[in-house]
Amino acid sequence: MNVRLILCLGGLLLGMSPFNGTAQSDYRSAEQLSADLQALAGQHSQLVQIQSLTQTPGGHDIWALSLSNGPAENHPGLAIVGGVDGSHLLSVELAAQLAKDILENHPEWLEKTTFYIFPNMNPDATEQYFKNLKYERRGNGTATDEDRDGRLDEDPFEDLNGDGLITMMRIEDPTGSYIALEEEPRIMVKANPDQGQTGKYRLLTEGRDNDQDGAFNEDGPGGVSFNRNLTYNFPYFTPGSGEHPVSQKETRALLDFLYEQWNLYGILTFGPANNLSSPLKYNRTEANKRVVTSILQEDADLNALLSKEYNKIISDDNVPPSVTEGGGFFEWSYFHFGRLAMSTPGWWPPKPASDSTQAKTSNREANFLRWAEQNDMDNPFVEWTPVEHPDFPNQKVEVGGFAPYKMYNPPYAMMGSVVEKHSQFLQEVVDMQATLELINLKTEKLGEGLTRITVDLHNAGLLPTHTQMGDRSRWLQKIKVHLNLAEGQQLLSGQAHQLFERIGADDSRQLTWLIRGSGTIALSAGAPHTGVETLSIKL
Amino acid sequence: MNKQTLLRLTILFFLALPLSGFAQEAADIFRAVGTPHNPRVRIAFNQYYTSDGLAALGQKIAEAHPDLVRRQSIGKSTQGQDIWLLAITDYNSGDPNRKPAFYVDGNIHSNEVQGAEICIYTAWYLTEGFRDITYVKNMLKDRIFYIVPTINPDARDEFFKGANTASSPRAGMIALDDDSDGQFDEDLYDDLDGDGSITQMWRESEYGDFIRDPKDPRRMVSIEPDDVITAQRYEYLGQEGLDNDGDGRINEDTYGYYDPNRDWGWKWQPDYVQRGAYKYPFSAPENRAVSDFVKAHPNIAGAQSYHNSGGMILRGPGAEEDVSTYNRADIRIYDAIGEKGEELIPGYRYLTVYKDLYSVFGGELDWFYGGRGIYTFTNELFTSYAYYKESGRNPDTRYKAEKDLLLGDAFTPWSEYDHPQYGKIIIGGFKKNFGRATPGFLLEEECHRNMVFTFYHAFHMPHLSIAEIKEKDLGSGLREITAIVQNDRLMPTHSSQDLKYKIERPDYISIEGVEVIAGMIVENEDFNVTTEQKVEPEKLRVDNIPGNDVVKIRWIVKGRGKATITVDSAKGGYHSQTQE
Repeated sequence: MNVRLILCLGGLLLGMSPFNGTAQSDYRSAEQLSADLQALAGQHSQLVQIQSLTQTPGGHDIWALSLSNGPAENHPGLAIVGGVDGSHLLSVELAAQLAKDILENHPEWLEKTTFYIFPNMNPDATEQYFKNLKYERRGNGTATDEDRDGRLDEDPFEDLNGDGLITMMRIEDPTGSYIALEEEPRIMVKANPDQGQTGKYRLLTEGRDNDQDGAFNEDGPGGVSFNRNLTYNFPYFTPGSGEHPVSQKETRALLDFLYEQWNLYGILTFGPANNLSSPLKYNRTEANKRVVTSILQEDADLNALLSKEYNKIISDDNVPPSVTEGGGFFEWSYFHFGRLAMSTPGWWPPKPASDSTQAKTSNREANFLRWAEQNDMDNPFVEWTPVEHPDFPNQKVEVGGFAPYKMYNPPYAMMGSVVEKHSQFLQEVVDMQATLELINLKTEKLGEGLTRITVDLHNAGLLPTHTQMGDRSRWLQKIKVHLNLAEGQQLLSGQAHQLFERIGADDSRQLTWLIRGSGTIALSAGAPHTGVETLSIKL
Repeated sequence: MNKQTLLRLTILFFLALPLSGFAQEAADIFRAVGTPHNPRVRIAFNQYYTSDGLAALGQKIAEAHPDLVRRQSIGKSTQGQDIWLLAITDYNSGDPNRKPAFYVDGNIHSNEVQGAEICIYTAWYLTEGFRDITYVKNMLKDRIFYIVPTINPDARDEFFKGANTASSPRAGMIALDDDSDGQFDEDLYDDLDGDGSITQMWRESEYGDFIRDPKDPRRMVSIEPDDVITAQRYEYLGQEGLDNDGDGRINEDTYGYYDPNRDWGWKWQPDYVQRGAYKYPFSAPENRAVSDFVKAHPNIAGAQSYHNSGGMILRGPGAEEDVSTYNRADIRIYDAIGEKGEELIPGYRYLTVYKDLYSVFGGELDWFYGGRGIYTFTNELFTSYAYYKESGRNPDTRYKAEKDLLLGDAFTPWSEYDHPQYGKIIIGGFKKNFGRATPGFLLEEECHRNMVFTFYHAFHMPHLSIAEIKEKDLGSGLREITAIVQNDRLMPTHSSQDLKYKIERPDYISIEGVEVIAGMIVENEDFNVTTEQKVEPEKLRVDNIPGNDVVKIRWIVKGRGKATITVDSAKGGYHSQTQE
């Protein structure tokens, strides 16, 4: 039986029973996940430490799992972060189930890598899925004034058709700019006057204009979105961003934790940004500015390599464009934290099977609807039905549209295969990890008690010791080479302490010293995020 | 007499004891104009105070003036010290939380100490001057001052007590790894000659590039290519210190380093963009305390932070990339106040950070203005202009002043030292309290001039009144009531940065006591151009009340009764008036 097959079987088992023996049929609430994570940590207490970093404004714990064989700081570390966007329920499952997968199926990874796993950075938002009124919430439990009018949460959604879901409403109105899509009339698209189209509908989110300010549902409960609250390209004074970067407890708690993990070399984010299906592109002008807004050149090459590996496992077919709105976590992890940064939504709806009875369409939403119906997805769409709307007394108003969450989150039964594929990708990353070795040791006797030592410090991994950005960051240590002279040994040439910046994949630095004396001498080389190699040299 | 009254009387009695002592002296003292006379709290303004010293002064001022001062800790420093704030206003007049507020702090950079003394002077002047200086009385009637003498108490003390130059520490006391070797603050300065200051290390060397000035033994002068040298040559070895960690470098990982003034939440950028940023905005606890206080006090309309040195009145933007944040309308207000400052503080120049100093992100004044819409200045205190009251940079000035004005108190004479790494060296130079910190005999003047600059700024915060309420009978029981709301100072209730991002809520102008049919903002009274507010017309939402200008609003009302008009503005205060 080959390795991949075992992995597949493992994945199938995972799909049936995420953490406990009973079959799981839907995404897990914060309460359920907390219990499952505690249980998992209990079952593998030798390998896992679990801690709550803080409690959110909504009263939920932010869980951090440290998976390591021995002290966590002894191995280079990789972080996995889910729940970055409150509507991506699968990202929470992915992070949590990968923790279980590592512990149960890949304990050998922990012999060279420590994993820090944060399954859900925004439980306040993901909990909306488990409420009676479901909508794609991204804000946490902080009360905010989204429209900055001095009133808090005064214009929330209303469930006008009583189906427990917040969808859209379309109002027949010649001043509106929407029309029905020709090949799938349930879907509303913007009319294009240049192509002779004129709008027939206004399209708004479901609810009333409670504060009569002309905007609908612009200031509901909550909050700040974790994925808009980071420092890179922060969207000032826009809904969901917070009053300034890192204004929220959970953002601060995670960053405080990460800044203390000097062994951390990479971060895998499950969220709307995607640099794995297609890598970030290098732009010389943007990369050379003081405020850097393009990936640096060497890092772009590295990203391309990782992306190639990812695409071998997870097809980029029908992949939606990467979403970066400013203040994002993935962008922070690279541009401001200098780590090896990877991000993917983890799943997206594939293209529908071609059907000769339907006209082909390039509209993503129409294709999703066809795929969902072909795959018997549970109610992906709420059919347009008329309602009486007090704000539009003499107009025809219909409520309908895509059911929340469906487009970003696979039917739960598919989660097993999503986890399994990402476990395969993790295997690749762990295999590529920077690995320092001290090789080609040469000791030349020059007579009169003098010895010249020459040794190569080689990175045997396919990842560099530092990203190019990481080389600039004070939050990654340099590679420290230390020659520990014993009593009676004297250094005639060369330095006892040396610091090195980035050593690329399969690259090396030659080290040499001239020493007078005898006995053995201890050499160490490395940094917390690369691991430290030692060598005892006989003079 | 109940217990509490008894207690109060007892406290008053003991408070009165020192007062009576001063009162006796008062007969022997003649008032110097412009200075509070016969104060309850006596403070010497020719010396510097540690953080405990400042805290004790703040407490004395608060206890001596319970009707004018509320003292609170706004948070804890890295090492657990309180960050003390004095909220000063006339607590017997109006709601203190609704008065336009002026925020002042000092000492964000640890070694830039005298801002704290200016803060204490300001608090002292406001409280002691309240009795008989009408300007102060009026100011405290409708303004409140939030004064935080030091927002960096730990490293202030370190500057005084530790081994430092005039420029260290600039950071706070969080240890960081400057050389990325995995060790934190492991190679600090060392006060080898024990004079309390970090001065310079020099060594006699045949190949050195300097000689000692034969006319001034304090000075080392550099050798020019054509000089014929017969005197002993010297080489410069750097600031006083040892290679504490044995890595072949001296003083390479001192305090921090992070810059508390790169830690604020407007256009923050990480350390590699401009050295000094810590983890994220407000990652230094002292700054977070200030930010939390400011966010909770939307009445703050003006602010001042004190640094040293150079004699500058600085406005933002801090970074060249942020130029577009400052628009013409707001720059006009900055200019008016800044130019007044140049007049009030001779030797100081009104400048813009990014083009006249350096271009950096994440400064305090940037967040106050960019992030909160508050007009804010930073003063770089003290300039060598003060020594001889003349401008122009002359390298001889400080040597002259040290000898003739400070009588040789600011220089540690050269002494020999046997250095473990360098061998026989000499150590000496200017002491840490010279060059940036104002000398004692000039400090009170520095305090006073900077304080009156902040008073000018605070005076021009929005000052609202309901100037006029007019009424017209429209017949059939309808009346038209027009109110004119005036702001007779320079600043609007919303800076244009504030308006651009709607940082602060609109001003509310509301009417009570009558039945409102319609409400509108009058754009042009002569031609009857109005904009109606269809929802909630009794509470008109006005984006802004501009400086030195009026806003006119109008209601159509039904029935009799006198109308009460209320203006409710976050930065302009709360004012109410009923029709006569």
